[in-house]
Amino acid sequence: MLVIGIESSAHTFGVGICDDGKVIANEKMMFNISDKGLIPGKVAETHVKNAPKTVEIALKAAGIKIGDIEGVGYTRGPGLGPCLQVGELTAKSIAKRLGVKIAQVNHGAAHVEIARSAAKMKDPLALYVSGGNSQILKSSEKPFRHYEIIGETFDIGVGNMIDNFARAAKLNPAWGSTVAKMAQGGKYVRLPYTVKGMDFAFTGLLTSAIKMLDKASKEDVCYSIQETAFSMLCEATERALLLTKSRELCVCGGVAQSSRLREMLGMVAKENSARFGFASNEFNADNGGMIAFLAERMLKAGMDSNISECGVEQRYRIDRARIA
Amino acid sequence: MKLINSGAEAKIYSEMLFGTEIVVKERRAKPYRIAQLDSELREARTKSEARILYEVGVAGVNAPRLLGLGKFKIYSTRIEGKLLIDDGVGKIGFSKIGEQLARMHNANVAHGDFTPANIMKSGKEYFIIDFGLSEITASVEEKAIDLLLLKRSVEPGQYREFAKGYARISKDPKTVIARLEEIEKRGRYQVRTLA
Repeated sequence: MLVIGIESSAHTFGVGICDDGKVIANEKMMFNISDKGLIPGKVAETHVKNAPKTVEIALKAAGIKIGDIEGVGYTRGPGLGPCLQVGELTAKSIAKRLGVKIAQVNHGAAHVEIARSAAKMKDPLALYVSGGNSQILKSSEKPFRHYEIIGETFDIGVGNMIDNFARAAKLNPAWGSTVAKMAQGGKYVRLPYTVKGMDFAFTGLLTSAIKMLDKASKEDVCYSIQETAFSMLCEATERALLLTKSRELCVCGGVAQSSRLREMLGMVAKENSARFGFASNEFNADNGGMIAFLAERMLKAGMDSNISECGVEQRYRIDRARIA
Repeated sequence: MKLINSGAEAKIYSEMLFGTEIVVKERRAKPYRIAQLDSELREARTKSEARILYEVGVAGVNAPRLLGLGKFKIYSTRIEGKLLIDDGVGKIGFSKIGEQLARMHNANVAHGDFTPANIMKSGKEYFIIDFGLSEITASVEEKAIDLLLLKRSVEPGQYREFAKGYARISKDPKTVIARLEEIEKRGRYQVRTLA
């Protein structure tokens, strides 16, 4: 089944095409963040400009015509309202025009499912780490197949925490990989470390790290904020591994692109005799491919929606999202 | 020293002291953490746990009794029994567990990792173990988080029994349970709360 997936929850407008479980095109156009961060209205405006072009490039990359598409999926949420609406509108127009079925996809569930598939795992414990989300997830069949949140951030996502810090430290572009580069050669300075069982909190760490910029070098603070935040995530994940007795661990979401976080989680998995895996970076960053991937499975399972019920939900929690 | 359990945070050994079996909990180094951060955390947590074990003992909570303290080691009495996570438990047990947690909260100790991995059944009694993430605090939030953690790890029926037991002993169950409900409602997708 040829399914097109539209992703627009944040700064990326992504279009992916999936055919029988295989992503055959995964194209994107991005709002330029540089040092400003995201301004929802402005990002949405950029998405409107980019939408038709991105669809066109994706069709070309897959070597198909729009008329070949047999189903549509899009990100219902979570994400920024104005941005999500652009994707919703694009998806609905395609579905209406072609008279094909449409599925509303939870962004986080798509991240986990594509990682699970890439890592060839059956039922892994998943650490989902991105800008707005930081959650430890495990699938559940009751009352329908979905992901249960067994640990999560009490305040902000780890990605936002690092991006906010990067802006305060005047790094450009203000995101994780710049912090990671700056961290090389840094020394450890003490910062708050907050883990409660399988949950964690990042605002205290963020505030202290920003203050610490007056006392320690930028390299040292970058190194320490990264080590502290990732250690917190690893500790909570290890506890969840032990509680669930899971033998598989995967990481997904934007922050999963960090090679340091992967290295650390690899050690956590090894210590607990679990296999560790993740998807390639194109699927960890926001992308339409994963939306198409999960949408195809949902459509095949009859989990399509009427166009009139399609909408967006800024806080669409993963534990309410039924998946196939 | 005989290894009896190897947990996420610590290795637990048993040792003989004047013919009595005691427990040694040694916080292990975590290879994923850089050495400095790792040893700082382990030392601070060991100290804090020893202090809390003492406080909990004074409050009469079912928990191991503190015997001694080393850099990364705590010496305590041994509880014979099975962990809840390894052993199924009926609903009745859960109300007793609720009572124990309430007694601990009455003494202003929040556990910090209150899951079935840290509750032990010994005879007909339930014991709370592993105070590694515990805090001495009057904070309603921290207490509510203990309830939340347990609620997330057990069946709804088991939690209801637990809550009954908790309400029976707690000095202020209403405030804590109200806060728990508030935490559960809190949205966590704070996309742009900090600029």
